[in-house]
Amino acid sequence: MTDQTEFPDNDDIHAAELVLGLASDDDRTAGRRRMATDPTFAAHVVFWQERLAAMADSIDPVAPPARLKQRMLAQVFPAKRVSILERVWLWQGISVAALLFAGYLGVQLLTINTQPNQQPAVLAAQLVSDTGPLQVLAVIEPVSHEIALRRIAGEARTDRSLELWAILPGQAPISLGVLPDSETARILVPAALRSQAAQFTLAITDEPLGGSPTGGPTGDVLAAGPMTTL
Amino acid sequence: MDRNEIENLIARVALRDRAAFEQLYDRVSAKLFGVCLRVLNKRAAAEDAMQDTFVKIWKNADRYNANGLSPMTWLITIARNTAIDRLRARKKGHQDIDTPGFELVAPGPNPEQAAVASSEALRLSGCLDTLEQDRGNAIRGAYLDGETYADLADRFGVPLNTMRTWLRRGLIALRECMSQ
Repeated sequence: MTDQTEFPDNDDIHAAELVLGLASDDDRTAGRRRMATDPTFAAHVVFWQERLAAMADSIDPVAPPARLKQRMLAQVFPAKRVSILERVWLWQGISVAALLFAGYLGVQLLTINTQPNQQPAVLAAQLVSDTGPLQVLAVIEPVSHEIALRRIAGEARTDRSLELWAILPGQAPISLGVLPDSETARILVPAALRSQAAQFTLAITDEPLGGSPTGGPTGDVLAAGPMTTL
Repeated sequence: MDRNEIENLIARVALRDRAAFEQLYDRVSAKLFGVCLRVLNKRAAAEDAMQDTFVKIWKNADRYNANGLSPMTWLITIARNTAIDRLRARKKGHQDIDTPGFELVAPGPNPEQAAVASSEALRLSGCLDTLEQDRGNAIRGAYLDGETYADLADRFGVPLNTMRTWLRRGLIALRECMSQ
């Protein structure tokens, strides 16, 4: 139809082809790169973008469904996982419970007439992980020396067990036991460790069914947290 | 649409202002959804393209000032290019899943004749009409339907190089007409 001398070819045409999307993938990549470095070429592209966008004037607006905005916003602003420490209601609940418990103890101590200075502190820990979903709340009950555990999120991996460990500064983790599948559990703190409970860091590891075969943790740490005094 | 208002919203979005981002969405989403639907013809695909479009707007708003485009052109270009990228991915074999019965009716041969709003659109439309009819249609097809040289060569039944030469002449004529 034409010989090569008549083959129209200049920057303006390349710019128009880039805007229209007529160019091959390779040419488009090269064109976009050139836009970033060559202001003259970029001006050609802007000319065509501006003029050809007028074609969209003929397109009637269509209201998108409301859920689309929600979906889009959820992608742009992903919800921050709320840490247990930030769940005010939970801590308020625990504080109220602790106060009531302290009050109860106070009454008991008064009536029995022992030393009021030795009110035991309520210890609690939130066990979390930066990488996994497991979140467990642990409270040590001062009289019974039991750790009351509540699993807030996450669970044991398939055919694996969760094992709870107490870690004291500079010492190897001591197994407190394998956690049941239920959301709540109570585990007795061994008598030898009770006086040091305030220094515990609690950790939960992923272990073979039934718990670590070695006596020490063998799997991933799925959640951990230090004890704090309430 | 008020240019200053849209420009102002984009500037605030560049400063990571979520309220401005939501306002911008409310102001322009219907127009951009229309563009995505026009290109993709399927609601589910157009919704996905819209989502990608607004993620890009959020991420790139700080580069808006540098590109010299009017705000609506910038937004429409992002929506149109995003939709065309999806369209091409679909043609390469990735099928969009869409609810049956929700496909839009294919537009008529010359939708530009309906409801032309701006003088720019009027001018473009006028210039496209001065071209040989097929060339005007080919350029419209490329912009609104994402047709490539290869698609157009198929549609018009001519070799690829012939199509390229022929359409480039159309583009040169269009540039001359619009620069007058």
